[in-house]
Amino acid sequence: MTGSNSGVPENGAAADRDLPADRAFACADCGRRWYYDRRRCPDCDRSAADAASVRLETGAVVATTTVETTPPDVRAPNHLALVRFDEVRLIAQAAAADLSPGDRVRFDGSHRLRDGPDRTDPRLVAAEES
Amino acid sequence: METEVRVSGVGMTPFEGDSQRPLADLAAAAAEKTLADAGVDPADVDALHFGNALAEALDESAGLANALAAALGLDGASADRVENTSATGASAFHRGVDRVESGTADIALVVGAEKMSAGDTRSVTEAISRLVHPREYAQGVTLPSFGGLAAGAYLDRHDAPREALAAVAAKNHRNAVHNPVAQFRKPIDVEDALDSPVVAAPLRLYDCCPMSDGAAAVVLTRATDEDDAGHPAGPRVAGTASATGTHAVAERPDPLSIDSVRTAGERVFDRAGIAPDDVDVACIHDAFTVLELIELEELGFYDPGNAWVATLDGDTALDGDLPVNPGGGLKARGHPLGATGLSQIVELVWQLRGDLPESRRVDGAETAFAINVAGFGNNSVCTVLRA
Ligand SMILES: [Zn+2]
Repeated sequence: MTGSNSGVPENGAAADRDLPADRAFACADCGRRWYYDRRRCPDCDRSAADAASVRLETGAVVATTTVETTPPDVRAPNHLALVRFDEVRLIAQAAAADLSPGDRVRFDGSHRLRDGPDRTDPRLVAAEES
Repeated sequence: METEVRVSGVGMTPFEGDSQRPLADLAAAAAEKTLADAGVDPADVDALHFGNALAEALDESAGLANALAAALGLDGASADRVENTSATGASAFHRGVDRVESGTADIALVVGAEKMSAGDTRSVTEAISRLVHPREYAQGVTLPSFGGLAAGAYLDRHDAPREALAAVAAKNHRNAVHNPVAQFRKPIDVEDALDSPVVAAPLRLYDCCPMSDGAAAVVLTRATDEDDAGHPAGPRVAGTASATGTHAVAERPDPLSIDSVRTAGERVFDRAGIAPDDVDVACIHDAFTVLELIELEELGFYDPGNAWVATLDGDTALDGDLPVNPGGGLKARGHPLGATGLSQIVELVWQLRGDLPESRRVDGAETAFAINVAGFGNNSVCTVLRA
């Protein structure tokens, strides 16, 4: 056991619950990536405490919505997209309402979603195909 | 294998947007109606299970179940509280069924209550917005956001018109018109729903359930055909089952699949020894109109992409082949989180007993199904009742 008395090791990306939106976790052994924190790698069972944080490159839009009725402090409208980056699936803010299922997207820029906290995140934008 | 548990009494308060009564009064009122309906003396209750989801978020006092037991005069009964977000009511019901089925209680009283108007809108909305994964919360993702993403995907994949969603809302409002305990008793038509403000595109206000106050309760007993006074003992609990599923909605392989719904449904049909075709009336967790369609398909009532056609054809209307949400559903009866799952059971017991006016009765119903869903499907709780 390494780390704190909560039983959660403090080393590695897994200790960081505030990763920027464009970062996923990657298994230290097999490289499998995931987005929403978990205790172990879903493929090889290696502890997530040793996982690295990796930047997501280009993904494909699965579904989109624009939220007009946002929770307290969240700026409206909030454009959201469900996106697949290979095995990684996530829901994140999009810069505009112009994305459609099938579009290729990447993260870009720095945006503050909530009034108050100074957290900023990159948002999804259309990717230029090379 | 059917259980030996019967629902011997039911009762509920009206669901309202802003009740003048405190939470404890709502709970006690539903409980007293239910005990009277069952003809059970409070002193004979062995177990009390109290479903409430938001007490901490709304600064209600702790120990709600103990206070209710004292208020009702449940002498020495065991008591506890059950919390499972929006599926709290059904989870409390299952705990009561388990107690009676296992023989650790002969008579269980299950009460669900919520007073969402107790907090200011901001604190309630904030509490509900925290039901999602922390990384979803960081992106401003809410339960209606999932509804919007799923609704867009549903219409897109099945080439369905926007009216398919509005028809669910119109049908559930129509069913609530004659239900005296429903929060909204005003009929709306498809055009009203299509004209209401956008919440999370393509979902509009009339695609979403309201915030509600209210309470519902049941009394559970061991099966006998008649009680001492010669009254029928009530519908039998033919099966209960629940299942958890992917917590982070994005991680689902398909935005239109909710594995907790599918799994809990398969389990409850197996336990009750029935198939979806055997169900005469169903209460489906329609927190958003699109959820009614997705759940009907995941549960096997309709093939994928067919529930919207069935809805437009009137199959799920009160006089259709499979009446869905005859009491108005979450959409129009209301959704006080801790009470909702129990209000589904109350509605189905009324339907199975046939003690409803013709204007809102499903004639000859013998097998009834309910699903109460937590979050956007991270936990699903199913029940089958037989007359
Ligand atoms: Zn691995």
